[in-house]
Amino acid sequence: MNPQPPKRIVRLIEQLAPRAFQEDILGDLDEMFASDIKHGNGYARRRYTINGLGFLFKSFFWTQKRQPRQIMMIGSYFKMARRSLMAYKTTTSINILGLVIGIATALVIFTVTQFEKSFDTFHSQANNTYRLVRAGGTDMSEFRTGISFPVPPAIKAEVPELVDVTSIEYFGGANVEILDSSGTTLDKYREEAGFTFVQSNFFKVFDYKGIDLKWISGSAVSLDKPGTIVLTKTMARKYFGDSNPVGQNIKLQRKFDFTVAGVIEDFPSNTDFPFTVLLSYSTLPRLNGEQRMNDWVAVNDSHHTYVTVAPGASPQDIEKKIAKTHATHTWKELSDSRHYLLQKLSDVHFDSRFGTYTRRTISKETLMGLAAVALFLLLTASINYINLSTAQSSLRAKEIGLRKVMGSIRRQVMVQYLIETFLVVSMAGFVALGICQLLVFYLQGLLNMPSSFITLPGKDMMVVVSAIIVVLTLFAGFYPSLVLSRLNPVETLKSKFGTDKVGGFSFRKVLVVAQFTLTQIMVVGTFIIVMQMRYFGNTDMGFDKDNVIAARTPVRDPVVLKGMEDKLRSQAFVTDVSFSYTLPGGVRRNGSYADIGRPEASSMSDFQVYEYVSIDENFLDLYNIKLLAGRNLVKADTARNILINETLLKGLALGSPTEALGQKLKMGDQTIVTVVGVVGDYYSNSMKEAPGNIVMVMQPENYTIVSIKINTPPSKVALQNAVSVVDKIWSETFPEFMFSYVFLDENIAAYYVQEDRYAKLFQLFSIVLLTIGSLGLYGLITFVVNRKGKEVAIRKVLGASIANILTLFTREYLLLIVLSFALAVPVAVYFVNDWLSNFRNHVSLSWYYFVVPGIIVLAVALLVILGKSMRAATLNPVDKLRYD
Amino acid sequence: MARFYLGELEELILLIVAMLREEAYGVTVVTELQKQAGREISISAVHAVLHRLEEKGFVESRMGGSSSERGGRRKRLFRMTAYGQQVIEQLRDTRNTIWDIISNPSA
Repeated sequence: MNPQPPKRIVRLIEQLAPRAFQEDILGDLDEMFASDIKHGNGYARRRYTINGLGFLFKSFFWTQKRQPRQIMMIGSYFKMARRSLMAYKTTTSINILGLVIGIATALVIFTVTQFEKSFDTFHSQANNTYRLVRAGGTDMSEFRTGISFPVPPAIKAEVPELVDVTSIEYFGGANVEILDSSGTTLDKYREEAGFTFVQSNFFKVFDYKGIDLKWISGSAVSLDKPGTIVLTKTMARKYFGDSNPVGQNIKLQRKFDFTVAGVIEDFPSNTDFPFTVLLSYSTLPRLNGEQRMNDWVAVNDSHHTYVTVAPGASPQDIEKKIAKTHATHTWKELSDSRHYLLQKLSDVHFDSRFGTYTRRTISKETLMGLAAVALFLLLTASINYINLSTAQSSLRAKEIGLRKVMGSIRRQVMVQYLIETFLVVSMAGFVALGICQLLVFYLQGLLNMPSSFITLPGKDMMVVVSAIIVVLTLFAGFYPSLVLSRLNPVETLKSKFGTDKVGGFSFRKVLVVAQFTLTQIMVVGTFIIVMQMRYFGNTDMGFDKDNVIAARTPVRDPVVLKGMEDKLRSQAFVTDVSFSYTLPGGVRRNGSYADIGRPEASSMSDFQVYEYVSIDENFLDLYNIKLLAGRNLVKADTARNILINETLLKGLALGSPTEALGQKLKMGDQTIVTVVGVVGDYYSNSMKEAPGNIVMVMQPENYTIVSIKINTPPSKVALQNAVSVVDKIWSETFPEFMFSYVFLDENIAAYYVQEDRYAKLFQLFSIVLLTIGSLGLYGLITFVVNRKGKEVAIRKVLGASIANILTLFTREYLLLIVLSFALAVPVAVYFVNDWLSNFRNHVSLSWYYFVVPGIIVLAVALLVILGKSMRAATLNPVDKLRYD
Repeated sequence: MARFYLGELEELILLIVAMLREEAYGVTVVTELQKQAGREISISAVHAVLHRLEEKGFVESRMGGSSSERGGRRKRLFRMTAYGQQVIEQLRDTRNTIWDIISNPSA
């Protein structure tokens, strides 16, 4: 082995020596060591030690080489950035404004998606929880949430992998009476939503652990006993004020007595179980009868079943076992037509095929769409920044040339520019954060976000804002900094520098086209969405939906109803009154379905499913439903005489309406009925779907709805007066029941709440995108106009007209916008077609659905460009040329 | 002409750097000092002087030329700057003038 220099000295020097000198000091020592070695190892080592230690006594060894420029530059970068931002105030404010609008809107979208994604994620069993749902129909295209009452207990008993099975029965329209100890009514309420029957193990499956939902008094166990009720804090205060609610009595639907057993905190806004009053599930047999509880056929879509499975169990295996259990309890035909599936709890909020108790689901596609819009917004805002910065590069060329002459290297120029960008973007980011809070607060209705969710920006929000700032700084700042730092100092300092060639002018055009393509896609898409909404609102549904007040009648006694009808009819503003089982359309209405077929029908497939409508003789008239053939039903008719609609006529192949008259048909329960009339089709569900099969009969014992057609002067006061008169008649007729009504047109509009919200949101986004785009255009044109001031003046001196000048400025940009329109249309067509295909009835795309929004965008852009260039074109050329 | 200060050892080492041309670094400078002037100067002192000369702007340095006996480490190679050249020339001229006067006092 070669002799080695003393390790300790080597290490000492390695640790202490200034980085810059370490290598050559050790190298020299080594070299001397190598030549000393011929005088002996010990000698060489001693010399090495003495020489090495010698360095420690030299002052240069201890003075770090200072790097003053690097450290001081950072401060100077910020100072220079601030100065140049102040120097170009217009550009800076346009940049900041565009970024603020873009970032704020993107943050709003982020808040919304965060909210939607947070639904029911806070249960500790969330990953093992599934909802039992049904797929049915001949092609498995019918998706339902309703589970027959005997199914949950049976599967719990027979499928061992199911840890917990909990069922929930939700009901709307509760009549609540608060009783005192002697049983007299103190207060009456009518509650349209929030009442639900749950089992005590509901709180085992949904423990709300993540948000710590507390029991104020009582516990989940109190829900085991029949006849107990648990109120949320808000409801307890509503019903009992400050007195202790526990042990108090409440009567529901005038019949069923409950005792308050507990109070729980209000449920959070991001749960699909928006319960306010919990009733013990074990009370259900009292309400429905034991027989219904054992009925394997009847289903009710508000009866949901949730299960938790053993960790690691395969949902597919469990589905098979559930199917087996179901098959052993029912007959083949039923079990073949009902397929039970397990839907993950995390999918419940996002799968629009099934409903939730909140009536809100948001598809993953919609969330993706929103995220894409957010990306669009950030992209256009960045493009503004890039365009304005590169356009300005000729103005800043001298500064950069000088910097380079003074010794700046390219990287330093880039860093300086990136810091400038960082300042602009972070300023915009924090202003946007504030604006986002305001927007979320003011738009909560539109965003469908309850105010209780709106809090100060949390950690997630700060992370997102910081991420946006960093990414935008790099994205928007990188290209301009590249362009600026590329400038050749010698050329920039020659005074003739400053033509528009600088700064990648053609790349800027590409960006303008990209920006306006995005904008046009949004604007065209929005325009078509709005047209579709108008189509929903204005198209004839087959019945007359205006000026109808509808209310649920609590009593079916024909004498009482007749009394009310007479009183109503004596009012001048009432033009018609009708009793029926259900409304012809609208979100909140009864729905009852059964089977009908030709007399020879034998198997299930020979029958058609129809919607049952019990009407009176005024129904068709009041709703203006057309009678195509035959006669209206009269009081003398029994349930054996029916009216059918056109769709059912075709479904049963009964020929023409006139041919169908007098034909016998067979109901699912084998009763034979006779067709006495055929009515025109109407959309009993929304216009999103096709009209369904309808059978109308005269069965007064099934009247549950009264429809009142009114004719009032078109003023709010007149309408309110009319409603209060109806209210008075109502309380005379049903003194024990609160009057609760809907306007039919509003009830129908509720079908389109979701679409309506998107339409409004997209209008908002389009305006935002167009604003950002226009801002950028304004900035660019301002710049061009300033640069070309002299050119314009000379042209005018030489005889150019104002029109010539304006053409000079506008032509190029108009071409760009027309080009972006051409690019946007195919993309928009693709997405819009996709969206429209969700609806059975939709507008057909025609050329003006694209041209109108295209012209709108063009007009806005033209306005921006002309407004700015007009000033330049009308200036007196003398003013511009005098000083040169 | 701006004033400058150059110590005796500094002057000697500056001259040696000039003499060594492209091969001036710590070890060679030590060897030449021994060979040409018979002076035993420690390597650390030589480094200190070279560093001082560089700070004053008489020499400039770059890294280069590693060899196996240096453990693969590069040398810091010194080269006289134009300024350094001016300075030693001026020093030589001053001395020559004085010597001329000493050897020929009448002139």
